[in-house]
Amino acid sequence: MKDKEKDPLENVRAFLKGFFGAFKQNSTEYLEFELRELENVFALTLMGAFVGIPSPPTTLVIRILPHMTRELYVMQRRVVDMDDVLGELAGMFEIT
Amino acid sequence: MREFFLPKKGYRVVFFIGKGGVGKTTSSAAAAAALAERGYRTLIVSLDPAHNLGDVLMVGLKDKPKKIAENLYAAELDMEKLIKTYLKHLEESMKHTYRYLTVINLEKYFEVLSYSPGIEEYATLEAVREILANGDDWDVIIFDTPPTGLTLRVLALPKISLIWTDKLIEIRKAILDRRAAIANIHGEQEFTVEGEKIKLPTREQDDAVMKELKSYREEVAFVEGVITDPEKTSVVTVMNPEMLPLYETERAYKSLKKFKVPFNMIVMNKVLELRTEVPELKAKIKAQERVLGEVGRKFKGIEVVKIPIFAEEPRGLERLRTLGGTIVGE
Repeated sequence: MKDKEKDPLENVRAFLKGFFGAFKQNSTEYLEFELRELENVFALTLMGAFVGIPSPPTTLVIRILPHMTRELYVMQRRVVDMDDVLGELAGMFEIT
Repeated sequence: MREFFLPKKGYRVVFFIGKGGVGKTTSSAAAAAALAERGYRTLIVSLDPAHNLGDVLMVGLKDKPKKIAENLYAAELDMEKLIKTYLKHLEESMKHTYRYLTVINLEKYFEVLSYSPGIEEYATLEAVREILANGDDWDVIIFDTPPTGLTLRVLALPKISLIWTDKLIEIRKAILDRRAAIANIHGEQEFTVEGEKIKLPTREQDDAVMKELKSYREEVAFVEGVITDPEKTSVVTVMNPEMLPLYETERAYKSLKKFKVPFNMIVMNKVLELRTEVPELKAKIKAQERVLGEVGRKFKGIEVVKIPIFAEEPRGLERLRTLGGTIVGE
């Protein structure tokens, strides 16, 4: 009986947590997108040789590369996503 | 002695530049020998991948300074070795840090890097930087450089590198700002790769990339500071009295001006001066005179030293010292 009395409060708490959680998520969604793009640009600028754009000083690239795990990962993911851009477009225009 | 050979602020750096085959190595070795003779602790370094400094000095040279005579030390940089050492170092530190990166075929990237355009210039710059960082060991450091094109690019690199680094620092700051903002709301952010958790740095002092960017900037700014300081650096151009070297010298003059590197003197090498008239050489002498006239007109205020053509190339210390005396001034 006592347990049942506690239930509504817990539900409210859970609701509020979810509500604010979602709110927090929304609030940083744009920032996260921006961050990802910046990380991608940063990696791409350093490793431009991969896509045929001039790179910054090779010495600098060599020195920074070992610390670039995150950025390389993001860049790689963006490249994979880019493949999907065509797929998405095809889907949108119902080209199958 | 000419003022721009004298060490004023600790040490003096002199670059001998010019077209291939005009006599840069001989002139620079001569100047080095003359300076050493006058009591200045002199180091001459050949940056030219096709070394012949050792041939001129008639000794075998390596990439570490070797004593040739009292106060005179010489070295020939091994570019290939330098590039290989760089890449080896990188490869090891990468393998040690992140094994998973082999996924994106990084080994191939190293291969590309060792042949990538510009790597030689950067390796040269890095070697120059290292020598300048220990500049206080010497009174005068003379660089015998590769042909003009490559040297000009090397001398332009610090400025270009600074532009790149500043841009990258700007992007990095934006990344860290956004990371900090997200961490404020969601708490510390982690990034998992192959089961290993890495904390994402949000502050400049914690970010290894930012630290590297800033220390690189400092190093490049140091080189830039030295080579644009007329009290520390001088550039001597060696040319022959012919039209093509004249054009090249003109281009070098303009480029150096653009990058604010001092241009101090022209060594006019292999000038024909005949006591008796030789009809077969009349046209040649006329052509040389025309170039000499042009030089006087185009490079106003720049000192020109004429070196006559010798029956045989001046090799060995004694002959170099005499020739060097003409270059550095009595």
